[in-house]
Amino acid sequence: MEVKALEENGFSVFQVTGEINISTSPELRKAFEKQSSKKVVVDLEKVTYIDSSGLATLVEMLKKTKAQGGSLGLAGMTDKVKSLFEITKLDKLFSIYSSRAQALTQV
Amino acid sequence: MSDKEIVISVRNLTRNFGERRILNGINLEICQGETLVIMGGSGCGKSTLLRHLIGSMKPDSGEVWMFGQDIAKANEDELDQIRKKFGMLFQSGALFDSMTVGENIALPLREHAKLDEDIISIIIKMKLELVGLRGFENLMPSQLSGGMKKRVGLARALVMDPKIIFYDEPTAGLDPVMTGVVDKLTIDLTRKLNITSVVVTHDMGSVFRIADRIVMLHQGNVLQIGTPDEIKHSKNPIIQQFITGAAEGPISFMQTGDNYLEHLTSKIKE
Repeated sequence: MEVKALEENGFSVFQVTGEINISTSPELRKAFEKQSSKKVVVDLEKVTYIDSSGLATLVEMLKKTKAQGGSLGLAGMTDKVKSLFEITKLDKLFSIYSSRAQALTQV
Repeated sequence: MSDKEIVISVRNLTRNFGERRILNGINLEICQGETLVIMGGSGCGKSTLLRHLIGSMKPDSGEVWMFGQDIAKANEDELDQIRKKFGMLFQSGALFDSMTVGENIALPLREHAKLDEDIISIIIKMKLELVGLRGFENLMPSQLSGGMKKRVGLARALVMDPKIIFYDEPTAGLDPVMTGVVDKLTIDLTRKLNITSVVVTHDMGSVFRIADRIVMLHQGNVLQIGTPDEIKHSKNPIIQQFITGAAEGPISFMQTGDNYLEHLTSKIKE
């Protein structure tokens, strides 16, 4: 897994590539801890799989962002990754956008 | 099943307990995403087969291939790595009474992963949501019904996001409604998460509700493998007796033979 932290149109954008699993999710969590923007987009277009620890990391990030009065959007996830959000009912908690471009205008 | 990936392959598995042959050259292939039920009467070898599938017993001969490895020949370290990839729901739930529900579910995570406690707490709650027990994390096992314990056991089996779950008599001791709940969970999880489920049971109601395929074992042999429909309409008298639960038939609970007197008096000197 690789995480790139970028600034785009006043947003903190995290571009994640690869598999978010029990070994890699702590790295994603570290990347999140470093940011302080109130508007966050996590681009999951290039994520092939996300396990429960990855989902939990995103839930924690959502909670922290909201607690600071901010908002977080998830963008570009594949159908396979989206189905994992649906099974765990997390699709109801997150704002999910079809692309990063859409997220950057609507979050 | 031919177009599906085979995730478990059992080849010529044989196991004896003393002079008794319990598994007599079992061959079996299990596919990704299917629910395979292993059924048969008491002493047919189904629990022994399950123990070989999870690596807790070694065969006298034969192979059990899972995740590209023959687990019959794996050492403890290798087995430990393989065990991270499958979950096991034990007959009684096998919860630790001195731990809360949440601590029980977190056990595999704490053993195998280095995750922050806040992340573990979220995962526990996500898994309890999956089995319909939201808010139960701080209860003790003694405060739960039998069905709830089974569901907590299932949440623990799911905590490492396994590709395969083994179930040992998952509905034993449950009332019909809770049996239906556990069966539905098994079906839902298998389909939604594309998990492979291997279920050992002799609960005939459950068998026909959950199985994609059924393996009928008898005296350590595979009698038939087939879809529920094929098994239901099997012409094999042993299978028919098992399905209908008839007391009379080829499956006998009585020891037959002419040596009863000899057996009773074997230690008496003539």
